Amino acid sequence: MTQTSILTVDRLVKHFPTKAGTVRAVDDIAFDIATGDTLGLVGESGSGKTTTAQCVLGIYPPTSGDIVFEGATIGVMFNRRSKELKRKIRIVFQDPGSSLNPKRTIKQILSVPLRVHGIGTDRERLTTMSRLLEMVELPPADYLYKYPQAIGGGEKQMVAIARALATNPRFIVLDEPTSALDVSVQGKIINLLMRLAKELNLTYLFITHDLSLMRNVATRVAIMYLGKLCEIARTEEFFRSPMHPYTNMLLSSIPVVTEQEESLKPKKIVSQGEIPSPVNIPPGCSFHLRCPERLPICSEVDPEMAIQEDGRVVRCHLFPAR
Amino acid sequence: MQWNDRRADLQATLKQRRRGVSRGWYKFSRNPLSVVGLVVLGIIVLAAIFAPYITPYPGHAKPYTNFAQASQAPSAEHWFGTDRVGRDIFSRVIFGYRFSLLIGAVVLSLGVAPGVILGLIAGYHQGTWVETGIMRITDVFLAVPPLVLALAITAMLTPNLMNQMMAIALVWWPWYARLVFALASSLRSEYFVREAELTGASKLHIMFKEILPNCFAPVMTKMTLDMGIVILLGATLSFIGLGVQPPKPGLGTMVAEGAKRLPGEWWGTVFPALAIVAVILAFNLVGDGLRDVFSVEEV
Amino acid sequence: MDRLLAIKDLHVGFRIFEGQLRVLNGVCLDVKEGERVGLVGETGCGKTTTVKAVLRVLPTPPARITGGEIIYNGQDILKMTRRQMTMLRRHELTAIFQDPLQSLNPVFTIGTQLRDIVRDSAIGRGQRLSRREVEARCLSALHETGMPDPERIMTNYPVQLSGGMRQRICIAEALSTNANLLLADEPTTNLDVTIQDQILRKLDELVEEKGASVVMITHSMGVVRDLTQRVNIMYAGSIVEMAKTRDLLERPKHPYTQGLMASVPKLTGEGVSEGIPGRIPNYLDPPPGCRFHPRCEHRMEICEMTAPPFFETGDEHQVACYLYGGKT
Repeated sequence: MTQTSILTVDRLVKHFPTKAGTVRAVDDIAFDIATGDTLGLVGESGSGKTTTAQCVLGIYPPTSGDIVFEGATIGVMFNRRSKELKRKIRIVFQDPGSSLNPKRTIKQILSVPLRVHGIGTDRERLTTMSRLLEMVELPPADYLYKYPQAIGGGEKQMVAIARALATNPRFIVLDEPTSALDVSVQGKIINLLMRLAKELNLTYLFITHDLSLMRNVATRVAIMYLGKLCEIARTEEFFRSPMHPYTNMLLSSIPVVTEQEESLKPKKIVSQGEIPSPVNIPPGCSFHLRCPERLPICSEVDPEMAIQEDGRVVRCHLFPAR
Repeated sequence: MQWNDRRADLQATLKQRRRGVSRGWYKFSRNPLSVVGLVVLGIIVLAAIFAPYITPYPGHAKPYTNFAQASQAPSAEHWFGTDRVGRDIFSRVIFGYRFSLLIGAVVLSLGVAPGVILGLIAGYHQGTWVETGIMRITDVFLAVPPLVLALAITAMLTPNLMNQMMAIALVWWPWYARLVFALASSLRSEYFVREAELTGASKLHIMFKEILPNCFAPVMTKMTLDMGIVILLGATLSFIGLGVQPPKPGLGTMVAEGAKRLPGEWWGTVFPALAIVAVILAFNLVGDGLRDVFSVEEV
Repeated sequence: MDRLLAIKDLHVGFRIFEGQLRVLNGVCLDVKEGERVGLVGETGCGKTTTVKAVLRVLPTPPARITGGEIIYNGQDILKMTRRQMTMLRRHELTAIFQDPLQSLNPVFTIGTQLRDIVRDSAIGRGQRLSRREVEARCLSALHETGMPDPERIMTNYPVQLSGGMRQRICIAEALSTNANLLLADEPTTNLDVTIQDQILRKLDELVEEKGASVVMITHSMGVVRDLTQRVNIMYAGSIVEMAKTRDLLERPKHPYTQGLMASVPKLTGEGVSEGIPGRIPNYLDPPPGCRFHPRCEHRMEICEMTAPPFFETGDEHQVACYLYGGKT
């Protein structure tokens, strides 16, 4: 934990009791994000990345563990959080199609956060909304009066970003913001987000499954698997020499487009098997059933997060704590 | 470019609304039957409103007898013939529409709003005792057949149109509660609702400004189709003597009066009955058209 | 060398409130027997419309096929009778769509749906399968796509399964019919990366085994690189470039293709490009000539006047762009 960490998550656990058993969505993870950084949270289905974000946002209260934001513990549900907190932590959702109310105009959609947080008087709001749209490069005269169905996916997502910025936030959770978009539009949005981060000193928790995107966007990358963190490292180091076997498996499965990239991928690990359900987490290390480098100890003892020489954190018996 | 001119803002908002209406009309008019329904409905409504001015014998809707003209078959002077006390049936039918439309309008105004609001609240609070409480009360009311309840109430109180309308309204709201409950509980998990919650919007805002606009379409369609059913219900109550009392020209009442004279003086029953059919059919066709208007075009 | 499927100059329009949407503007696509062809394009370029046109499932009140032919095995699909079409859909063609929730019936179990498909496609070939054989085929189809616990899946309803699993069932359904042509419309878009990798390799294997042809529609260049032999790039209703896959990825010629390749974030870490400026054209009033010209930095006068034909630039690499010919 450094002084400049805006968000610290410590021993976070989130379990959902269901009839089929307890879903251990997040199972004791810890990380922190420095102000101004972008932490890329990567994982497949059942990894718990979305649940982690949901706990940070307050959609669910954690089962146990701490979430500390700007020095204050915030691990409660959103309806018990202060308005100020809701102003500072915002979200951009994955699916622009359903994150904007189809029956409301863009103007009405943008006015909600402004009204809720009392930003500006009635008269000033129109100006504020125009400014927000201009920030995301959409001409206000046209876009304020449109309904979401009348604009494209990329533009919808930009409106969602404008909406997130409306309250002058400090921290934005980006839940796969460009996954539903075409690649030619993605670039514009990503560059916009990066630019805004610099200009407004924003911190991002960027959730995605697209590792190639992560390579170009995140300052640090964290990989999750079945509710636990496998590896956290600074981006360049992560991609240059991935350590955890799951990380290797992920990287070797990415479809790339150039020979150059192909050569950067780790040796092909044929991913075997299905991702187990978070209700039936295998004993010991949750990855051992699919791991090509498993040791006998892996089926019995769950490894601990261990800090490596270069500062990264890995959770694997191959890289034990020193 | 600064966009903060309030007048331009207003103009732009209105323009958007107008476009929405034209697009709606386009979708509606794709189906010729719906347009026919709308035209017929328009004629009926206008006729009912202007009844005293357009009917040949407006006085016949009030207490009136003229036994010299009684029981006459349809003719040039009396398009629908006359009844057994000499009143012009055509004029009475037009006046009769007033009661039918009134009953539909009143029942729906009284019944829809509470139903929608209760369903909205229950749907948004799904999983809590609020939902359970509201929906179980709804179930109780749904369990009672409308006609039987209306009969019981009108029989207990004096049988007249007002009581009849209250009775039907009392059993009408649960259907809307159910409809909106189903819609609201599924909309609750949409991203845009979640976003509004995370922003800190009040529950009232979320229910009425985020969820309700998305329920508008099915509710409107149901209301239009319900008009027909309510009108029929009102006519039935009048038919058995518990609704519009003679000598007032309720359509159901007229059917009952004329029924005694079947099959000889058929015009006394047949024309009021056809009038009922016409208005219900018109509402149904319009309801179909409305459903098309609200459907999302997939291209 | 036989051409299994040949789409020739297909034009499709949609009638909506505001007017006529001229979506497909002369699509030309060839698939040989046993060949795997990619169709890459972004949202709104018309790739799904093309697939639906081949299957003849376009809703024909708003949609209208205003020109062209779709030749399958020598016959024009657009001229076939209802019965011929049904036979074609049963035995020859199969499709996987993007959204499994729309393809799977929510009120029947997976088992019911899969058994129906297996039985119907077998009957069409004159085979009668016993219950046990049908069951065995269903289980093996599920197993082939990497589903864990196929027996339990057979008893589940679609809503009980995750999105990725549903899509795998759709793939299992498609492959179990032993069709000759598989039209796959973004089949792995919603799947996890490791699973996508598995599925694509499995698809590759199975298609190879059965000798089927595939039209793989996707917006991901990475997917076509691994799975297809030839690829077509589609923009705003027509094909702008077609070539052997490796050739196109290494030497993209059309400005749009080049823009797309530049927009893909790379593992080499050079940042994310700004993408391609502008938007896809409004189909109500598409730009004359080459539909890409408003967004093209190399545009010339002729591009605004007539749509470019295909120009051959060596080794089966064709580009519809005046930069490669026909300027005089």
